Amino acid sequence: MSNINGKVYAMNAITPMKPWKTWIVRGILFLLGNFKRLRQDVVDLSFIEFARWVVLPRGGFPFLGNGQVKENLRYDYLLFFSNFNGTWNQYIDAFSAVLSKGLNLIWRWSEKFPGSVPVTLFMQYIALLQFDTDYYYSAYPNATANDIESAHIVQSSLDQLAAMAEGSSPQQFADAYLRFVLQVQCHLGATGNAPVAG
Amino acid sequence: MPNKNGSVYGLTILSPIIDDDKATPSHDLQIRDYLARLSTREDSPFAVAPGTHLARLVVLDDVIYVGMPACEEHLKSKYLIFESNCDGDLDGYLHGLADTIADHLDAIWKHCVGYPGAANRQAFVDYMKACQLNTTFYFAAVNDKSVEETLRALQTKTAVADFIATHQGADPATLQREFIRFAAELKARPIPRPGSMGPLRDIKTGGHNE
Repeated sequence: MSNINGKVYAMNAITPMKPWKTWIVRGILFLLGNFKRLRQDVVDLSFIEFARWVVLPRGGFPFLGNGQVKENLRYDYLLFFSNFNGTWNQYIDAFSAVLSKGLNLIWRWSEKFPGSVPVTLFMQYIALLQFDTDYYYSAYPNATANDIESAHIVQSSLDQLAAMAEGSSPQQFADAYLRFVLQVQCHLGATGNAPVAG
Repeated sequence: MPNKNGSVYGLTILSPIIDDDKATPSHDLQIRDYLARLSTREDSPFAVAPGTHLARLVVLDDVIYVGMPACEEHLKSKYLIFESNCDGDLDGYLHGLADTIADHLDAIWKHCVGYPGAANRQAFVDYMKACQLNTTFYFAAVNDKSVEETLRALQTKTAVADFIATHQGADPATLQREFIRFAAELKARPIPRPGSMGPLRDIKTGGHNE
């Protein structure tokens, strides 16, 4: 079991849904995917690197023959995979506090979903539905989502400054350098080991 | 289907694991045993193969019963879930895996039903696609940068912080000269290897509530 790698936590959850409700979830996730404003809260949370919902219809489990027995299920399933920074408690807490309406819209169609507020029942529900990761890899495990976003801002600003550095006078460069420092100063800092969660 | 977000591909694969009463230990346990001993650092198979930002492998034993009044039901097979956030198109990514880490793929997926082996590239790609689930909603915080671009940018972020700290108060001519040298040196610096910045840890942790 290895849900954590550096500063990233891999969460997996699976919830059963009555098949007729699946189409409502598909519609909601379609709107979420196509209207940027609706997913602004997820962007603002800024500790999710990648996340996905997968609607898995009861007849949609891969069947390859070769002795495999075909699934015979009554429910469709909603799979949720998230790669987030911080601890499990912080994540579920923030989800409940910031995204409660959005989460309710998506998960209320799952069996016995208690609502994302109050958080105690929500945490119990997620803990019940979560299954552990056996192997978790990150190309940059010590970087958070904010580190990555900041790093690209610094890189882009540095490239611009480097492009004008040779063709300018020392004073022109010094002025541009000052603007560069002001631009990147809140995006600096090294990445390092994650703090020990306790 | 939104498997892509910008230039990042969200791959979800669900491979049925062989159910064989005579296998000891069972195939799912053999997968778990192999994964438990696999490095997550720069010698990880996913660091060696090109294009993986984050990836996970998970054995799904069964669906979860949430209690009354829901119906209790169970899966007929256990499944190996491969969730990857990767660069580029699916075919290129799968070929890249087969070209570079065929031994690892075979060691893991040989326990799955119908796995043809990575040596036959087209059969391997067809198998993976047969097991693929379409993502219904996919979110990527940064969706327009490759793994290499991100690793280089992280290296730059640290180097720039050091440069600024050590050049406070320098006169314009010195600052310009030093910066030009710094930018050239940074550009020539090799990109950190994927996974190389991870923690050194023998015991893997991360329970439900950590």
